[in-house]
Amino acid sequence: MSLFSVCRSMAEWTATNLLIPVFNFQAGLFPPFSNPAGSIADWLETDGGLNTLAWTYAVNIAFMIGMTNLILVIHLERKIAARIQDRRGPMLSLRSFRELGEDLAGEAPTWKFKDNYSGIGIVQNMVDGIKAITKELIVPAKADRFLFTMGPVIFISSSVFLLVLFPLSDRFAASSAPAGLMVIMAAFSIAPIGVLTSGWASNNKYSMIGGMRSAAQLMSYEIPLLLSMAGVFLLAGSFDPVTIVEQQQEGTWFFGLPMWNFIPQFIGFVVFMICILAEVERVPFDLPEAEAELVEGWTTEYSGIRFMFFLMAEYIRGFAGAAVATILFLGGWAGPWPVPPEIWFLIKVYLIIIFWIFIRWSVPRIRTDQILELGWKKLLPLSLINILIVIFMVEIYPYFSDIVNLPEVF
Amino acid sequence: MAEMWISMGPQHPMTHGLWTLKVKVDGETIVDADPELGYLHRSVEKMGERRKYFMNTTLTDRLCYASATTWTHCYTHSVEELMNVEVPVRAQYIRTIMLELQRLASHLMWAGAYMPDLGHITGALYFWRDRELFLNLLELPSGSRLLYNYVRIGGVKRDLPVGFEGKTERILKLFEQRLDEYADLFENSKIFRMRTDDVGKFTADQAKNLGITGPNLRGCGTKFDLRKHDTYEIYEEIDWDISTREAGPGYSDCFSRYMVRIDEMKESVRIIRDCFKKMPAGPTMASDVPVRAQGEAFRRTEDSRGEAMMYVVGDGSDRPYRWKIKSPMFTTISACPHYLKGYKLADVPAIMGSIDICIGETDK
Amino acid sequence: MNIDEFMQELSASKGVSNISKIRENVVKLDLSREDSQDFFIGIKSDFEHCSLISAIDNQPDFELVYHFSCIDNSIVVEDSDFAVMLEVHVYLKRESPSIDSISNIWFGANWHEREAFDLMGIYFIGHPDLRRVLLPEGFAGHPLRKDYVYEIHEEEW
Repeated sequence: MSLFSVCRSMAEWTATNLLIPVFNFQAGLFPPFSNPAGSIADWLETDGGLNTLAWTYAVNIAFMIGMTNLILVIHLERKIAARIQDRRGPMLSLRSFRELGEDLAGEAPTWKFKDNYSGIGIVQNMVDGIKAITKELIVPAKADRFLFTMGPVIFISSSVFLLVLFPLSDRFAASSAPAGLMVIMAAFSIAPIGVLTSGWASNNKYSMIGGMRSAAQLMSYEIPLLLSMAGVFLLAGSFDPVTIVEQQQEGTWFFGLPMWNFIPQFIGFVVFMICILAEVERVPFDLPEAEAELVEGWTTEYSGIRFMFFLMAEYIRGFAGAAVATILFLGGWAGPWPVPPEIWFLIKVYLIIIFWIFIRWSVPRIRTDQILELGWKKLLPLSLINILIVIFMVEIYPYFSDIVNLPEVF
Repeated sequence: MAEMWISMGPQHPMTHGLWTLKVKVDGETIVDADPELGYLHRSVEKMGERRKYFMNTTLTDRLCYASATTWTHCYTHSVEELMNVEVPVRAQYIRTIMLELQRLASHLMWAGAYMPDLGHITGALYFWRDRELFLNLLELPSGSRLLYNYVRIGGVKRDLPVGFEGKTERILKLFEQRLDEYADLFENSKIFRMRTDDVGKFTADQAKNLGITGPNLRGCGTKFDLRKHDTYEIYEEIDWDISTREAGPGYSDCFSRYMVRIDEMKESVRIIRDCFKKMPAGPTMASDVPVRAQGEAFRRTEDSRGEAMMYVVGDGSDRPYRWKIKSPMFTTISACPHYLKGYKLADVPAIMGSIDICIGETDK
Repeated sequence: MNIDEFMQELSASKGVSNISKIRENVVKLDLSREDSQDFFIGIKSDFEHCSLISAIDNQPDFELVYHFSCIDNSIVVEDSDFAVMLEVHVYLKRESPSIDSISNIWFGANWHEREAFDLMGIYFIGHPDLRRVLLPEGFAGHPLRKDYVYEIHEEEW
């Protein structure tokens, strides 16, 4: 009973009842409308065709779940930020539509602000989306039109690609790549190309500087990021998320709690959290897009839906980063019954995201040269030390286990 | 990358006022700077020559709108020196209280504008929430939250309302608790120290030559405060200390300038409490304020940002013949190449924010 | 040094006349235009802060008022904390309002002199960068003069 089996049965149902009759009807028409409909109908009856259709459905479902989570993450960020700052945050909700209707009809309002204003504010996101779509798309006069358009495309497409790559549990996976996590990290790393392209194509000194700073930061934090993950890969023995989560289920410590990877790999966990914050460019590492110094940095010249792409991509990457952290270090989707594993996974991801929101609104920014210094001089040696510890424990310690008796951590 | 001029402003979220700062950068390091003013020039001095002496108090409020009472007080103090008017004692106490409340509001405004420059938007909201408390307090005697026109030639406009002392004491107690809470969030925060330590250094000797006064000079360790060294109103009867900090022997950096202002806020709280204890009853306005004046006079006062001076020349009529305003920020901004050279482009908001710029008084 | 001794020392300087004391801590004197540069170089060691340079249009002549302040307490008023200030008046003719610049002695005087040039039209010889500071660059005239007439210009926006 996995995502794939559900999608496969959905595919069979739709293929037999909807698609194949349509294609067969089309084959009966006169050319040129008939080609190659017949062969499509034949192909849909085979295993390969049904599998393709099933995977299409699976990817769409995963994408929709990802996008819904994105709206929830954005909403959480605004509300928690507001509460930290002693205010309420977005309050626009369905109740506001009723209020608007009453106002337009000229009636007296039926609720007073002081009595019951518990609007949850989720409609604000929809309204912001509509605003972004309806704005004019401006391209600066001397900018490189093609690259100006391609920059956000590269950025958002690599980020959306991330959404379907990680499994929500062992039976809810829209991708079955055996090197799952490496593909995720590769998709993370496409982003600097988009950043540099947008910054350079804007024909603006500020954007160029911001783009270069951002690319320098992203590229220099890739290395400690991957090295800190290498420790987990060595322990688990594979890149597959399912294997990694299973490996974390073995081994227990206090009171029979399973030994998730953040305890033996504590240094790796800390390094990974810092590096993933720098990768998704959240405060305290968001100088490239800092408002105070370079207005918006490398996104200064963008407007409307293109700007929205950058914002969405940043939150999607944040979500994906938190998901990777959960799989690697926090036991993935493992949790006691009766809560289903998908919900456990999402709970853990949201806990990490809330932790990041708290950091973002409590801490000032770090300067770019200090960020780079931190990455190269402090995190890189730490992640190397982490790998050495892992290698020692996995490979060398078993040979000495009868002489020296370290606590049973692995 | 070659050297290039980057223009920050006049439209810029960082610049705290309407001016242009052109910096010449070599890669990321600043090589030169060229500030440009004049966007907010309202010819206040020329307007003052057309209006009578008592009408100009509305103009002086608008010189630095974040710290309005101190500028009006500087003007009325100079004109009282010119006209030889004796201000009654109770009015002097009330003026001192209003000046210190205004200093608190101005420093809170500065802190609330400084934090987002470093990336800490929560800091802005916390400091401005506290500024609201003091604006409400300042509204009670004068009727207005930002531009008061409360200090008049010869005294103050009207007496403090009933219950003012109780309200002020409550708010001061709350404010002191909050300042202690904020210490964890700002001064003891490692990232805040990373951004402000060893950034924007200048020595005390450089500052005196460049014309920098006020908290910026006290951040270099120089004990010089016009409230003690050229005392006015009732400051010599009040028990308070000059707050100085230094980042090292004889020089200041952004952090020491930040801490000086936080210390000054604590001292202001002390001064207000002491004033309430010692305030006598009596009239709040001098009984005979002349309308015409002859001669020349000047007075300098300790504005929230430095040494403010007004030089007034009267020719026997009821309007000033010449009125010259000195703003501390005028010379401080002119000296910006000296404390910007050698630092990174990302340090510019941190440094210019710690200098506490208000363009209203600079451009007159 | 005591302020009274300082006043006696100053009255012996070249070009100084009309020395007096305002309040207790301000020394006021008149200075002649030709001896101004030597005088200012002489007092630089005591007064390290140039507070203000004001330009006044006494029809028909100009008057410049310099204010300096002593921060380091090298000159004191006895038994008090007062910081000593010096007020110098220099009178200039209307046909040629110019004087030596003191920007290389006190850097803080740089923009004060630019403002005096901008609004009153007094030239400072030897100033490194004498241009308008508050008014826009193409502005014609010096507004704070008493004979300035505001003409409506056609603005090119």
